[in-house]
Amino acid sequence: MKTGLLTALVFLLGALASRAHVGSPDVFFEGRAGTMPVRVVIRPPATLPGLAQVDVHAIGVSAVFVQAAFWDAGKDAAPEPLRALPVANGALFHTALWLLRSGSYSIQVTVESPRGRGTVAVPLNSAATQRPVMPPALGATLAALGGLLFFSAVWLAQSAARAAGVRAGKVACITTLVIASAVAAGAMRWQKMDRDFREKALSKPIPVVANIRAFATRWLLHLTPPEGQSAAADWDTLVADHGKLMHLFLIREPDFDTFAHLHPVRRDPVTFEAILPPLPAGAYRLYGEITHDDGLSQTLMTRVIVPSSLDLRPAPVSLRVPTLRELLCGPGTRLLGDAPQPFALDPDDSWRTGVPDMVSLRGSPLEDGGSMLFLKDDAFVQNRETTLRFRAFASTGTPAAIQPYMGMRGHVVVRRTDGAVFTHLHPGGTISMAGMEVVALREALPNAAPLEDPAIRGNEVSFPYAFPLAGDYRLWVQIRTTERVLTGVFDAHVASSR
Amino acid sequence: MNHLADAKCERATAWLRAALLLASAAIPLSLLWDYSWESTIGIDLVWSPPHVTNDLGVALAGCAATALLMRATREGTSGVRIGRWVGPLGAWLAIWGACAFGTSLLFDRWWQSSYGMAAGIWHPPQLLKAAAFFAVTLGAWFCCRGRLAFAAAGGGVLTMISVVTLASIFPNRQHGALFFQVACATYPIVLVALATAGSSRLSATLGAAIYFMLIGAMVWLLPLVPAEPQVAPIYNPRDHLLPPPFPLLLIVPAFALDALLRFFPGRTRRFENWSRAAESGLTFFFLILVTQWLFAQFLLMPASDHWFFAGGGKQWPFFLKIHPSARTVFWKIPGEELTLARSLGAAALAVLAARVGLWLGAAMKRI
Repeated sequence: MKTGLLTALVFLLGALASRAHVGSPDVFFEGRAGTMPVRVVIRPPATLPGLAQVDVHAIGVSAVFVQAAFWDAGKDAAPEPLRALPVANGALFHTALWLLRSGSYSIQVTVESPRGRGTVAVPLNSAATQRPVMPPALGATLAALGGLLFFSAVWLAQSAARAAGVRAGKVACITTLVIASAVAAGAMRWQKMDRDFREKALSKPIPVVANIRAFATRWLLHLTPPEGQSAAADWDTLVADHGKLMHLFLIREPDFDTFAHLHPVRRDPVTFEAILPPLPAGAYRLYGEITHDDGLSQTLMTRVIVPSSLDLRPAPVSLRVPTLRELLCGPGTRLLGDAPQPFALDPDDSWRTGVPDMVSLRGSPLEDGGSMLFLKDDAFVQNRETTLRFRAFASTGTPAAIQPYMGMRGHVVVRRTDGAVFTHLHPGGTISMAGMEVVALREALPNAAPLEDPAIRGNEVSFPYAFPLAGDYRLWVQIRTTERVLTGVFDAHVASSR
Repeated sequence: MNHLADAKCERATAWLRAALLLASAAIPLSLLWDYSWESTIGIDLVWSPPHVTNDLGVALAGCAATALLMRATREGTSGVRIGRWVGPLGAWLAIWGACAFGTSLLFDRWWQSSYGMAAGIWHPPQLLKAAAFFAVTLGAWFCCRGRLAFAAAGGGVLTMISVVTLASIFPNRQHGALFFQVACATYPIVLVALATAGSSRLSATLGAAIYFMLIGAMVWLLPLVPAEPQVAPIYNPRDHLLPPPFPLLLIVPAFALDALLRFFPGRTRRFENWSRAAESGLTFFFLILVTQWLFAQFLLMPASDHWFFAGGGKQWPFFLKIHPSARTVFWKIPGEELTLARSLGAAALAVLAARVGLWLGAAMKRI
């Protein structure tokens, strides 16, 4: 029997389980540990406590060490680093780490080579990700065994009463009643525990309430936590990711023909607001990505109906004048204050309406007349590591020079058509850059340098990833060229790994 | 020749009963070891040594009880008959417990892989497992004859109660109502049954002494084994296995119950059982209140920071984030303050438990 009574106290007091991304629990990081390029893939356990599988791709290194540290305890309160074992021609190292509880961990990867030693800390949100389902065969077996135990207990009580000269029938009735009550109480307890687990422990997007109201000639989007959950939202502990407290993605349903990437400003600890760009009316799925100061990233999710436009003239895009309490747009992780008013669209807001005619597996026309090419070496297979590679071309057909967009060479939003998977990738992987900076600060490590300098000119951008489920996906790839944010749209089919 | 065969047969039966007794002690001890393992190392595998010991304990109990049953059936002795099988009730109980344990293992494997620890404790597989353990330990108690064996088996049941209620017996909670309510609702059942059904005049005292030695052995031996946490976060670094909380001083109320029920038999015929239950229950309540109230104070003092007592607020699971100031004080948990009403409730529970203990003792004597 598990006697971890105190363990349970700790777990029950744990953070509300949540995870950045939807249905895509694996963590990918591509960057540098010290000066050495590494790709780290972490596959967290489906239940806690459990084993996280860690793969480190690194060329020319002699040893790799991995350590898991919890956010409020740090690496000094972590077990000794584990040595990862080489598994494939010396370029891939593997180990498994135990995770105890839900919350923000950092996985510290240290690589050693003749050139030196480097460490990088990769943030990991730890939470239960698996919905409990009992296989029918197991359910039937347990029901049969339970029935057998029930009837044997009643029979035993009756026989014992007979042997003791007590009224056997009466004893059998009482025993039946007692055991039936115990079984009923156990079933009720199971129901309650299952409900609590699904509501509090199981990783899922955080619900949020979205309202739209008129604001001058534009629509103003208003986001608040659901009633009674303001305290749990913890929006006063957010840190800026690429200089923004929230990255909000709007995807028009059911055809996914409109996509917007906005940056609402926080008005107070329970309110975010954003001026909506001129989007077509309709139902939209909203995904908001936030990062807390403990490194925990969360995805907020809701639906909203965008009404017909008041006035489709584009709102003026202007840089806002920063005030002491106003959101600053810039790189770096920091706690930011609230904005007095969302005056205008954020300069980094971007959107694309309408699906290009030739949404395909290979190419997508861009808004400026250029095009984007999806380079695929092989078919996508569920859970198989891959690199999503794209090349941008100007309208003249010449390679387009990609400029940094919010400090990154590109952003990709991946969504399975049924919504079971949603994730936001950077060339550095699935991790939140703010989470990365938070754990680096916490562990007194240098900031993880990106594999490529965002300032480097070139027309290719790549993203490490593995599609978690088979099926059809849509990808929105955002880059900046000639000071303009462009969005390429692609479809991809992912084959089952079975 | 018949005498020789009888003696051989009796010896074999005695060995089987001893095996059952050993198994009933191994179960709570392995559970305490498991608690220590989880609280020190943190990695809790199916084949960890405490789990294997626990499994072997139940298997031993099941095998010994089955052998007892077969022997009794072959010899045609009296007992509880089910179908063509006949044997002592304790053997039946232990077999039922072993079967329930097997079922709970299957259930628990699925639960752990589906919910992990995130759904909390006292989940259905754990409840079934607890029922199985109690069935085995009670079965051993019912089977054991002889003064010492009977008291020892009772001590095993007392230990099992402490294991199941482990979270409530931390010294920091021993000024709270929950501790007294749980203690009053459970221990008097066993102590009163021991005092009334045991062939020794000091059965309850012996049982409580064996309980003390069983838990004490774990308090004294586990911290001698080097071990370190293997999973973060480690809020309380450890280099040896964590001892469980020091055993309760049940020997004090046990001696009083022995004295009360053996030396001062009931004076009234009408409502005799209830009046004896009231006397026993109230005696237990007052003595456990005074004893543990004072002893828990000692266990939180620096003087008890010693290998023997494992106190002084120093022994905590590695994963428990607890403020230094909370380690050596009595916790004021909302809803658990020891008020007059809650004290009366605990006393009433003790009386009820004592009444159940009287019934159980009478049933044990009869069976």
